[in-house]
Amino acid sequence: METTKHKSLPGLLSAGLSGQAKNVTLFILMALILALFSILRPDRFPTVRNFRSMLAQFPEFGLLTVAMMLSMIVGGIDLSVVAVANLCGVLAAIILAAGKTAGILPGGTLVALAVLAVLAAAALSGTVNGVLISLAGVPPILATLGTQGLLMGLAIIFTKGHGITGFPEEVDVIGNGFIAGVPVPFLLFAVMTAAVAFMLKKTRHGFTMYMLGANPVVSRYSGVNNAVVIIRTYMITGILAGLSSLIMISRTNSMRPGYGTDYLLQAILVAVLGGTDPKGGAASMTGLVMGIMILQFTQSGLNIMAFSAFTKKLIWGLALLLIMVVNFLIAKYNERRRIRLMRAASENITGE
Amino acid sequence: MNVKKLFSHNETYLALVLIVFSLAITAVNPVFLTLDNFADLAKNSAGTAILAIGVFIVLLSGGTDVSCTAVAICAEYIAARFLIASGVNNIFAAFAIAVAVGISLGAVNAVFVSVFKIPVLIATLGTATLFHGALLEFVGTKSLNVGDLPQCFKDFGNLNVISWTLPNGTPYGLSVFFFILLGLLILTWYILKFTMIGRGIYALGGNPEAAKRTGFNLHKIQFFIYCYAGFLAGIMGIIHISLINYGNPMYLVGTELTVIAAVVLGGTRITGGTGTLTGTMLGVAMIMILQKNLVLIGLSSYWQDFFVGLIIVIGVTITNVQNKVAAWKKAG
Repeated sequence: METTKHKSLPGLLSAGLSGQAKNVTLFILMALILALFSILRPDRFPTVRNFRSMLAQFPEFGLLTVAMMLSMIVGGIDLSVVAVANLCGVLAAIILAAGKTAGILPGGTLVALAVLAVLAAAALSGTVNGVLISLAGVPPILATLGTQGLLMGLAIIFTKGHGITGFPEEVDVIGNGFIAGVPVPFLLFAVMTAAVAFMLKKTRHGFTMYMLGANPVVSRYSGVNNAVVIIRTYMITGILAGLSSLIMISRTNSMRPGYGTDYLLQAILVAVLGGTDPKGGAASMTGLVMGIMILQFTQSGLNIMAFSAFTKKLIWGLALLLIMVVNFLIAKYNERRRIRLMRAASENITGE
Repeated sequence: MNVKKLFSHNETYLALVLIVFSLAITAVNPVFLTLDNFADLAKNSAGTAILAIGVFIVLLSGGTDVSCTAVAICAEYIAARFLIASGVNNIFAAFAIAVAVGISLGAVNAVFVSVFKIPVLIATLGTATLFHGALLEFVGTKSLNVGDLPQCFKDFGNLNVISWTLPNGTPYGLSVFFFILLGLLILTWYILKFTMIGRGIYALGGNPEAAKRTGFNLHKIQFFIYCYAGFLAGIMGIIHISLINYGNPMYLVGTELTVIAAVVLGGTRITGGTGTLTGTMLGVAMIMILQKNLVLIGLSSYWQDFFVGLIIVIGVTITNVQNKVAAWKKAG
């Protein structure tokens, strides 16, 4: 926690609920959960095997969460991430399965084709969201609610609701492979996270995203083309969802429309848990990654302790509400402290 | 009311679309335009429509409630299990329990929204997960078959207020569900139109700060909103179990976005303050007709999600582009 006393007026003003304080809270929470499960099940939780399996498990979900965070930074929300992943997964599955049956192209080429198709479909879906939100002025929650149904519907129509199996074995490496002992899904996640973090911190687009989310009017009068920023952001969320679908089909070696529908609410939950402000303009990649880790540790820990899926659900609901209540109380405390310090500062000035 | 004024209403367009849509279905399959099909539709849609009223009121106040289905299933399942366990065979007892559960859970929502100022979408997302998880964990996961359910649910489900017989001898009727919906619509309309708390809901949705300064007690209004939505969800729960004669704690949850879609399609602004009950009911009718009648025009049910999504995208795009153009014209 921050212990420095702010003496100057600008310092006082910036001493609100800082992202750093949130991240410290998250880090403590993460360490506590890690310690708790390690003490409860020392034989099974803190093992190399468990950590390797966790590293392979969370990326498909983690990418959706990063996508959710990006949409929240620009003051929106993307309810269509899971639907985009489903449609992309179905497209890839159709290409892979049909290609394998035809047997003309080698497996590696098929995988490359499938990846290209996924990226194109994902970018297109995201662009549709962005255009609806920015050009047509549809509130993000509605636009993505609609495209969610639309895209999931397409996935169901393409497959008639059945699962697709029978892929060339080259696709296996994306979800189940290891490079230097590290699971490939984790490497994919790490690369994408680093890229997104770089974009948010170091590029013009990242900066305008925060500015737009904090105040669209200010950003527009600063010469930012809001529509372009929004379309680009939703295109990126789409692509992240598409990449997640590649891990999904490879890990399960099949694709069934409707896979991962639980991820949607979880992604919102973890994004908020990780310190993303659903009203826009504030988020931290570090916080988000810790949020994802907290979710994964809890999932694995509760699994090892043989808790039911319902208990997990209950705990998740409770965790989201608790985090929000704690955030509210911290914000309130900081607000009061700020006013108190400002009053003290102004008394000092008049007193001299 | 003159024609020009009529066409400035969103509901008029929605009604027109609905009529064209119905005519199109009828052209393909005349079965659609029969009294019996409409009686069926009214019976099957009543539950969703009641849930939609609750979502509508929360939306009016500026929030999106995704917990409505979780509250409904909690109320339904707890009431049914209680009746089975106690051996009571009385539909009024079932309603009393369901409504009590609904109002209590609604009050929990209100605490998070009103006291802790959590955005409604996030708060209800949390409570929905919590309520449903707690239901499955503490009350049970057992599904209740027709044989397990008390007779009162079956009788209530088959109760028709107006009945007639088809030429081939099949009895048909307008279910009591429809009249419950009608009663709740009138009650809600009265509250929204003629009571201080109802006007407060519009004020809160339009501008919370202004509403506060005008002297509305926002906490009181928010508690009323969420308890009322819970009350409606409780009633919906009993109607739902009586309709399908089967109780499963995994049902309903997951359909909340469809209910929200129906309300929004009815012209209620997601930012709050604007919307009508008529529009909401037209939106529900639109979604229900689409869902139930795709089969009648020869499309398999796989097309359902796609069409519902398409209708939402087109519907909200038209409304918002209209608003944008209007604002642009106004600005000159």
